[in-house]
Amino acid sequence: MNVARIAALLGLALTGYAGSGMAADPIAIGISIAQSPPGSVVQGTQVKDAVEIVKDMVNAKGGVLGRQIKLIYEDNQGIPEKGRAAAEKLITKDKVVAIAGGHQSSVCLAEIEVAHRYNNPYINTNCWSDDVRKKGYPEVFNPANYNTRVSSAMTDTIIAMGVKSVVAFAENTDYGIGQAKITGEMLKARAPGVSYKYETVDRAGKDFTPAILPLRANPPEMVITIMLPPAAYIVMNQLYEQGVAPSAKTWLYDGSGLADYPDFWQNVKEAGKYMVSFALYHPQMATPKIGLDVAAEYLKRTKNEPNRLIFQAADSLLLIVDAIKEAKSTDSAAIIKALQTMKFSGVRGPFQFGKQPGYGYQQWVDIPYVNYQLTEVNQPISKTNLIQAPGQALDVKKLVRPAK
Amino acid sequence: MLALDLLVNGLIFGLFYALMAVGLAMIFGVLKVVNFAHGEFYMIGSYAYVLIALKLGIPPWLALPLAALTGGALGWLVERLLMRPLYAGHGSWSSSKDEYAVVVTFGLSLLLVNLVDKIVGPYPFRGPVLIETSRFSIGPVMLNGQKLIAAGVSLCLLIGLALFIKRSLWGRQIQAVAQNRLGASLAGIDATRTTSMVFVISGMMAALAGALLAPLINPGPDVGAFPAIKSYVIVVLGGMGSIWGGMAAALILGVCESFFAVYVSYAYRDAFGLMLLILVLLVRPQGMFGEKGREL
Repeated sequence: MNVARIAALLGLALTGYAGSGMAADPIAIGISIAQSPPGSVVQGTQVKDAVEIVKDMVNAKGGVLGRQIKLIYEDNQGIPEKGRAAAEKLITKDKVVAIAGGHQSSVCLAEIEVAHRYNNPYINTNCWSDDVRKKGYPEVFNPANYNTRVSSAMTDTIIAMGVKSVVAFAENTDYGIGQAKITGEMLKARAPGVSYKYETVDRAGKDFTPAILPLRANPPEMVITIMLPPAAYIVMNQLYEQGVAPSAKTWLYDGSGLADYPDFWQNVKEAGKYMVSFALYHPQMATPKIGLDVAAEYLKRTKNEPNRLIFQAADSLLLIVDAIKEAKSTDSAAIIKALQTMKFSGVRGPFQFGKQPGYGYQQWVDIPYVNYQLTEVNQPISKTNLIQAPGQALDVKKLVRPAK
Repeated sequence: MLALDLLVNGLIFGLFYALMAVGLAMIFGVLKVVNFAHGEFYMIGSYAYVLIALKLGIPPWLALPLAALTGGALGWLVERLLMRPLYAGHGSWSSSKDEYAVVVTFGLSLLLVNLVDKIVGPYPFRGPVLIETSRFSIGPVMLNGQKLIAAGVSLCLLIGLALFIKRSLWGRQIQAVAQNRLGASLAGIDATRTTSMVFVISGMMAALAGALLAPLINPGPDVGAFPAIKSYVIVVLGGMGSIWGGMAAALILGVCESFFAVYVSYAYRDAFGLMLLILVLLVRPQGMFGEKGREL
């Protein structure tokens, strides 16, 4: 064998080696979201925007374990059966190493059954129902907010404001009914003097006036909304139209974080002025550099201000990436073990998952929140009246009542 | 006082239901098929109104007829491209016309919802009001200007349509085709053109309902599903294909739902309409006002 032939063979071998390295299979991660009605396409779009930003950031830095990440989207339409089928397809056909993106509780509850059956890691992006945690599935991790957290916060607010009668409008979903019930239980235990009742309303409904009209004669001191758009917007508009809330007699308190949806003011106008809101994001909250980077990129790409869902979705994907790094493997069991033990620092700050059974199982238990009040129409979140900073007590004196 | 509030609210929503359902009743009257894409005519009307007014800056009072024209154009296209095979020389298709109509209109419904979702986006849009009025009260009844105007326009449109069907030559042609398509053709009526006209009117009415309600219901791509279901209930309650029955059933349903929600159960308000439907079908299968069968 002469020198030229040896050199040629070596060259071929090296080329082949380099080629196989360059073409290393990307790591597939499943994203199950609503991309078409009747699910919340608004939320699905925000989740997609955020995970795309994180994917690009991770891949620009060389990926993870030397491999790029690839996101495979499935449209669950907000329907539990479709979510179950989506999870089945992502795990068995697409061979994803983990699933994220879930943003509607009823769908998450269906999908986690599949993830549990296949021992596939599942990151819950935005399903608030406590039942997702109470199942106690070791595959399911919850960087998202949860109903007990919101109910506890709302109960604190109601007590601090000295409100004695509350009516809640809750959408007829696992999230809505669950939230309304827990709030009732907490009020009964911690403020038994407060009269509380809730009305379940259809999230596809268009006329809520018959549920609102009886409140005109006997207005409560507070109306709470536990609903998603667009039904939440319609309820707010009809509450305002009937002069029920916000009014001099009745506070309007939103427990769903409505005000940070990009279409909020276009859809509610005057009906949103004076609304008090529970929220998981406010520009005055401390945000790490990676969070600021994601926020800036989101603003650049969409021209919308970031909101809590953007950060939750970003953290969902970063969690998977960090767990793969920590585990040095894409094996499901290794990723799950890493997620259970690692200390994660994401776009909303550092946290670790809880281990207590119940609503705190594999949950970011102390997820930070704020309360603020909207005092002008078209007010950006950064200009709202922050009445409760994270970890602080609610400052009732800052609240502004409507004149009539 | 509460009862009066409920009555007014029920009548107003009954008028909206009627405007929506009347087109569906007309199509059933003439073709004897159900248009499952009827809710999407309503959705297109909402979006046309909102986009014309907000994106093109055209005044709402002008955007309203333009939205109606959009709905009418969509109705004409649907009839011309999708429904005509039911009756115009496609013998093998018309033998299974019910199946054809279900599949094609259901497919059209899904197509339109997803097209709007992808092209315009998933966010709901609240349409501009026709008149800038704050909420106000008439006696004990609290209203907003848009709701009152939308109800007034709906009432005028329904009366206008009723007179058109009853008195005009074209209206009589529609009645004739609905009663007996072959007989009407033998009498010299152009049944194809008449069917086309029915789809245009149906599209316009649904689009107008969507446009009038756009400031009240924050339309998104799936906004048509809810009124479509109400319309199906109303059409059957009133008597399949009967415009008059449909109008009366819409008002009755609006008022009954309003009272049922407060005095029985709000959570089961929508189920009430379906219970009423089952009851009427058991006791009076031709509908509450169905003696005259499918007359228009």
